[in-house]
Amino acid sequence: MLQLIADGLVVGSTVSLGAIGLTLTYSLLRFANFGHGELLTTGAYAALAVVTAITAWGVDAPPIGPFSFGWPLLVALPVAAGATALVALAIDALLFARLRARGSAIVLIIASFGAALALRNLLLFVFGPLPEYYSREIQIAVALVPRGVMGGMRVTPDQMVVLGLALAAMVALHVFLTRTVLGKAMRATAMNPDLARITGIDTAAVIRATWILGAALAALAGVFAGLTGQVRTTLGFELLLPMFAAAILGGVGSIHGAALGGLVVGLAESLLTPVLGAEYRAASAFLAIIAILLVRPAGLFGRVAR
Amino acid sequence: MTAALAVHDLVAGYEPGLPIVRGAGFAVEAGEILAVLGPNGAGKSTLGKAVAGIVPVASGSVRLAGREIVGDPAHRMARLGLGFVPQTDNVFAELPVEDNLDLAAAVAGAPRARRIAEMFALFPDLGRQRRLDAGRLSGGQRQMLAVARALVAAPRVLILDEPSAGLSPKLAQLVFDKLAEIARAGVAIVLVEQNVRAALALAGRAIVLVEGRVRLSGAAAALAADPRLGDAFVGRGEAA
Ligand SMILES: Nc1ncnc2c1ncn2[C@@H]1O[C@H](COP(=O)(O)OP(=O)(O)OP(=O)(O)O)[C@@H](O)[C@H]1O
Ligand SMILES: [Mg+2]
Repeated sequence: MLQLIADGLVVGSTVSLGAIGLTLTYSLLRFANFGHGELLTTGAYAALAVVTAITAWGVDAPPIGPFSFGWPLLVALPVAAGATALVALAIDALLFARLRARGSAIVLIIASFGAALALRNLLLFVFGPLPEYYSREIQIAVALVPRGVMGGMRVTPDQMVVLGLALAAMVALHVFLTRTVLGKAMRATAMNPDLARITGIDTAAVIRATWILGAALAALAGVFAGLTGQVRTTLGFELLLPMFAAAILGGVGSIHGAALGGLVVGLAESLLTPVLGAEYRAASAFLAIIAILLVRPAGLFGRVAR
Repeated sequence: MTAALAVHDLVAGYEPGLPIVRGAGFAVEAGEILAVLGPNGAGKSTLGKAVAGIVPVASGSVRLAGREIVGDPAHRMARLGLGFVPQTDNVFAELPVEDNLDLAAAVAGAPRARRIAEMFALFPDLGRQRRLDAGRLSGGQRQMLAVARALVAAPRVLILDEPSAGLSPKLAQLVFDKLAEIARAGVAIVLVEQNVRAALALAGRAIVLVEGRVRLSGAAAALAADPRLGDAFVGRGEAA
């Protein structure tokens, strides 16, 4: 029981980071980006490329303390975030911005499907179909709770750092959105784009900043998913439905909702899988959505549309 | 002297080829209040939005202190000193009162703390509610915040679209008194109003917009006595 909760929170925190990016771009651009999963994959592979390059240099980088990874992965994180942000900005400039000018959300959604497919296959072409790992070190799980208490709880140091960093990123994001001018400008633009422009906010710049932020969080999520699992080209796509589930669960457009929704989805998957069977793993997230939306039709934090 | 805001032969609308504003023009000086009157659907709001840069302009000119601003993005116009208070959705409902003002001041590069303190001095109610989300304010307070949101950036020109709409006569009078105070400080004010008598009492000059064109214009006092004023509102005197 406790073990399932711990596993669920680790997966959920990764889903949260992805769902926040999804909800951020949705609330500013008013379209559901089905290519968001591939931003996670891009981040995961960008980090892999950095780690591989550093190791290929012959640099000695033993694992840090109890973790499976050495300093190259820490260097790779910001590089991956930056690279993913560039990819997101490029896709927006080349594709979405042009389609936005002509309106119609459905066209944007279909275009995002296309962009996702292209990006996934590009990664497949460059990195090949075999799953990769950031490190092949064996990790020893730490028993946080002894086996006698509710089944006990064993967590690897990597899982702990993933959960810790994901939660820290969410707190930092909260502070950014509520305390800084750019963060407030983002929220203002999401609420009322015309009023934002009248107020002197360069909404095009705000949209670019939102892509950067969403993509950086996606890259973080991608690296975390790769670190606790495998780096593979379907990594992000497999998380797409849970991320959508989390965003909808939280109330579309609500950042706090997406953060909490991700944790709920992670927990639901983890707790329901033993009950329903592993083949229904993905379905469990949707059971959670249905249950919550029946009670709160606008999601956990959502407002009923006026 | 160049006018603070001079609009000339402006054609604007939401769809290409479907002009709503069809060749309207006016000018305001610093410290002056110009009333923009007209029946429902005359295009008053569209005129305001077109000048502020959020409705496409097909042709014509808008000069802010002599500088042509048609085609500039709306946010640049705002930073050049054009303030606009829309008729609806004119505050950031999910931001606290203080953040509404702080954001506007920060973007304008104004000294934030000082300007916000000035707004709270002008509108004491807002100071008392500074932590409240703007969407939870009463109608009157919300309208005050909408004005303060534009004013905190220290604009040279302030366009207001029906700031008294939905307010009790007493609150509407309070808003008008504030506008007079703001104009005395040297701001050029363009006031779109349904309340013709009150607007003419406040303004120095006025224009009457009918079907996107200026039907009447002149000194407010003269217009108040002009029998054609009522005709413009009920759709008579089309031959003009
Ligand atoms: N967003 C919009 N898209 C398309 N047409 C619009 C839009 N807003 C207004 N219109 C049309 O433009 C015309 C003028 O509307 P506008 O709001 O400018 O009039 P107004 O003089 O401000 O009226 P009121 O006194 O009722 O506020 C109307 O026919 C209206 O239907
Ligand atoms: Mg109007």
